[in-house]
Amino acid sequence: MTNVLARNNVKVLGEGEKTIIFGHGFGCSQSMWRLMVPFFESKFRVVLFDYVGSGKSDLTAYDPEKYNSLYGYAQDLIEIIEELELNNVIFVGHSVSSMIGMLASIKHPDYFESLIMIGPSPRYLNDEAYIGGFEVSDVTELLDLMEMNFEGWASFMSLLAMKNPEKPMLAQELEKSFTAVDAEITRQFAKVTFLSDHREDLAHSTVPTLIIQCSDDSVVPIEVGEFLHSHLKNSTFRLMEAKGHYPHLSHHEETVRLINEYLLLP
Amino acid sequence: MRERLNTAPFGYLCITNQGVITELNETFCNMIGYTFEELLDTHIESVMSVSNKLLFHTYFYPFLHLNGHVEEMYLSLKDHEGKDVPLLLNAKYFKQDDVEGVDCVFMKMGKRIDYEQQIRSAKKHAEEALREKNLALDKLELLHNEIEKKQIQLMKLNTKLEKLSVTDSLTGLKNRRFFMERLKEHIALFQKNNMPFSLLILDLDFFKKVNDTWGHLIGDHVLIKLAEVLNSTFKVEDIVARFGGEEFVVLLPEANKERSKEKAEELRRTVQSAEWRIDQIITVSIGVATMQNGDSDMTIMENADLALYASKENGRNRVTHKDDL
Repeated sequence: MTNVLARNNVKVLGEGEKTIIFGHGFGCSQSMWRLMVPFFESKFRVVLFDYVGSGKSDLTAYDPEKYNSLYGYAQDLIEIIEELELNNVIFVGHSVSSMIGMLASIKHPDYFESLIMIGPSPRYLNDEAYIGGFEVSDVTELLDLMEMNFEGWASFMSLLAMKNPEKPMLAQELEKSFTAVDAEITRQFAKVTFLSDHREDLAHSTVPTLIIQCSDDSVVPIEVGEFLHSHLKNSTFRLMEAKGHYPHLSHHEETVRLINEYLLLP
Repeated sequence: MRERLNTAPFGYLCITNQGVITELNETFCNMIGYTFEELLDTHIESVMSVSNKLLFHTYFYPFLHLNGHVEEMYLSLKDHEGKDVPLLLNAKYFKQDDVEGVDCVFMKMGKRIDYEQQIRSAKKHAEEALREKNLALDKLELLHNEIEKKQIQLMKLNTKLEKLSVTDSLTGLKNRRFFMERLKEHIALFQKNNMPFSLLILDLDFFKKVNDTWGHLIGDHVLIKLAEVLNSTFKVEDIVARFGGEEFVVLLPEANKERSKEKAEELRRTVQSAEWRIDQIITVSIGVATMQNGDSDMTIMENADLALYASKENGRNRVTHKDDL
């Protein structure tokens, strides 16, 4: 039996009846939520985790076949919820995590009360009339850029994973563990993310959803938010004043405010 | 100094924490083919492709946020014609009085990027070659294991063949070839250490009559039975062999004349009193010779043979030592 909690480096914090789970995006880890978590700890049980291959997850659990689509990651999310015996979960997903949460909710609608998507996209590639923001050549370029910057990227991710920048020795240790295997994992995660197409799945989603998009999102065009809003039942669309693609880092207060308003919290 | 910064051999930019360009030098403008006015107050992402933007968001901003600086980041910017300009970027967060922002320094990667590409493709080739090599090695190891298995089989077979080649198939005793080799070894030992030994040659009396009367099958049976008697009479250190036909030889290490005569006599008696299951008395005639200085394998065999001849001449079923002739 795999130890789900160790595999996904699951952290449970805070007090509260209800559970809010945060799912990080591509190239990140659960520490991306560090500015948001303090606002929710007092009202919710907060669950944080790393996807397999990211952060401090168990790298030995990485199976290139399983994680060759977002369904593999969605299955892990379901297993975390089952392991912790949760229900009526509020799931906050950034970027690719939004779709992972939605795929999990389609399989088990009863596990979820609502989905909050930050900068979501059901398909990153342009497709005839559909504007996803990326051409195939952009994805190739991204994979090249990642490869060219992998040393720096790895050290950045290891620092984040350690959350101990004052102890660079520890980070160096961890950095060493970022080997060619990790480069391969990150590369596959990028491929799976940016080549995914879940537009067909939108119609099967029933859980109430909040779509949060940055004005002038640097990764996802505004049309994608609108496309999602029109194809997702029970969805609310909020355009932020914040720009960029990482509002939970750059404008966490506005992000918290939008979530609170949606959840009818004071 | 400030003047020179404008044309220094690196592109310089200052951006706000949000990415808006607030200062820049001429070298940077020339790098990507825009005028100063076109770039000032615009967002740095306006000259980036979507993948570079994503890199900026997943790597540049968070890293800067965490460490206050970014070193040797590789990226490309779009020039005025929309062409990619590969660059290397170092950036550092600063705060002076009330002003804060990020200083960015860009270096062109023109030739270096070609080297990088070459290295990357060489690395890919090397990885591919390594994979193939490992596959080949695995195969080789499999073959090696098979060969080893075959070798063990071969060795077993060899041992068996060797045994067969020195064994007399009818009686299971050692054959003439084996005996002659051992004899030579004992002669060498005698010459070296003066270690004595004696030789017995024995012959079944009237064996032709056994074959003629009872047939070859019974004849063979007598030979086999005699081999058994020989095996039970002599020790394992003694070398017993069938020399040919109904003639047998025994080498007795460390035995002098008296001792060898005793052993020969013991054998003669045992044969005489053994149960042969045919209605004919079976006896042997024995010739004995003891190794002496100057003897060779040929002479000691001749001597024992002479003694055997004497035993036959004197009425068979008896022992003669060469020295008593």
